[in-house]
Amino acid sequence: MIYLDHGSTTPLAPEVAEAMARATAVAWGNPSSDHGSGLAAARVLEEARLRVATALRADPAEVVFTSGGTEANNLALKGRLLRGGRPGGRLVVSAIEHPSVMACAAWLEGLGVAVDRLPVDGEGLVDPDDLRRRLRPDTRLVSVGHGNHEIGTVQPLAELARVCAEAGVPFHTDACQSFTREPLPAPPDLPDLVSVNAHKIHGPKGAGALRVRRGLALEPLMHGGPQEGGLRPGTQNVPALAGFGVAVSLADPAEYQRQAALRDRLLERLLSIRGAHLHGSRTRRLCHHLSLRFDGVSGRALAAALDRAGVRVSRGSACSSGTTAPSPVLLALGIPPAEALGAVRITLGRGTTEAEVDQAGAIIDQAVATLRRTP
Amino acid sequence: MTDDLPVLDLRGVKCPANAARALLRLETMEAGERLAILLDPGEPTESVPAALTLEGHRVVATTDCKDHWRLVAEARG
Ligand SMILES: Cc1ncc(COP(=O)(O)O)c(C=O)c1O
Repeated sequence: MIYLDHGSTTPLAPEVAEAMARATAVAWGNPSSDHGSGLAAARVLEEARLRVATALRADPAEVVFTSGGTEANNLALKGRLLRGGRPGGRLVVSAIEHPSVMACAAWLEGLGVAVDRLPVDGEGLVDPDDLRRRLRPDTRLVSVGHGNHEIGTVQPLAELARVCAEAGVPFHTDACQSFTREPLPAPPDLPDLVSVNAHKIHGPKGAGALRVRRGLALEPLMHGGPQEGGLRPGTQNVPALAGFGVAVSLADPAEYQRQAALRDRLLERLLSIRGAHLHGSRTRRLCHHLSLRFDGVSGRALAAALDRAGVRVSRGSACSSGTTAPSPVLLALGIPPAEALGAVRITLGRGTTEAEVDQAGAIIDQAVATLRRTP
Repeated sequence: MTDDLPVLDLRGVKCPANAARALLRLETMEAGERLAILLDPGEPTESVPAALTLEGHRVVATTDCKDHWRLVAEARG
C-alpha cells in the first residue's frame, strides 16, 4: 500500500506514540490539581505548550489547546464575532477556506453577521490590495488560511497581516496544513489568531491549538473552569497534547525539503501524462502537496481505481448527501464544474519514499489510460 | 532589580502550571545558574518555591514587589 493522503491525516510517528504512552502512564493526574500528581501532568502539558509556542513563534501564554483544527477555527471565528454574546459586525474570509471556517462564516451570517468572501486568482492567491479595499470600521475579523488544504497554495501571510494591522482589524489564519512546513511570519506580522493541529504532522487526532495574541478578547465556545485561560474549559487531554508537542519537535526542515523534491519528481511524471493539469501555484505551494486533474477522467473514479491498485489519494470534491458536488475551492479558482470533478489530491509524508513516488506515478498513468478507454 | 538575571514571568499562570514551567526552565540550566521568577501574590508564592525545593533547586531570594513577587532560584543542574 502506498499512502499518499497525508493532507487528510498522517500515521503517528513512533516517538509520538511512545510519548503518549508514557504520558498516559505517568502523567494521568489532573494538570490543574495543586499536588504532586497534578504537577506531574502539568509538567507534561506545559512542555507541550512550550514546544507548540516555539513553532508558532508565540508566547506560551498565548497558546490555547483545543481538540483540533476545527475547534480552533470555531473559537477564532465565533469567539470574535460573538464577542459580548451578541453577533455583529463584519467578517472577511477567503473563498477557499476549509469547511470548518466556511461553515462558521455561514452560520454567523445567519445570525446577522455581514460576511465578505474574498475572491482568489487562478492560483488561489488572495490579493492584499483587494483585502485592504474591503476592510470597514466594523470588520471584526479577517480569516485567510496559510496553506490551502485542497490546492496547496501558500498565501502571502505577512503582507495580509500588515494590511489588517494598518486597519486595526484582527487577523486569523488556519495553518493546519502549513504548520511546521511553512514558516509563520515573525511578530509583529504573526497573525493575531493561528489555528494548528497535530494529526497533519504525525501527531494524534483530537489535539490542536489556537494562538491568541495577548490582549485580544474572545468569547469562549464553552463555559466552565479556568483551564486554558478560561477560553477552553475542561480538563486537558494530556497524553494527546504531549504527542502534539513531540510531533512539533520532530518537524525537520531537511525532511520537508526531501518531500518537496519528491513532490516535484512526481509532478513532473504526472504532467507528462496527456491532458494533466496542476491546480494552484507551481512555486507557492505546500512541500507535500499536489492537486491535479486529467482531462476526461473523474476524480472519484480515479481515486477508487487507485485505491484498488493500492495507492491512497483523496479526491478533490465534497461529498454531500450521496451526491458529489464540485469543490467550492476549485470553482473559486475559475475551474468549470465539470472539470473540477476531475480533481485528485496527492499528499506526501515522512514515510514516503522515492520508490513509492515512482511506483505511484506509473500506477496513476496506467489508471488514467484505463479510465479513458472505459466509457 | 538590576541583577541582570534571566527572567521567567509567570504572572497570570495558575498553579501548578507555574511550577511546571519554572521546573522545565531550570532543568535546561547548568548547576548554580540563577533565574528570576515573577509570580502572582498568594498561593503561587508558597507552592512554587516548595515544588522547586522538592526537585533539588535552591530558592536564594524572595522579594515582595507589592503587585507581584520575585524569586531567585538556583538550578540544581
Ligand atoms: C486546513 C484545515 N483546517 C482545519 C482542519 C480540521 O482539523 P481537525 O481535523 O483537527 O479538526 C483541517 C483538516 O482536517 C485542515 O486541513
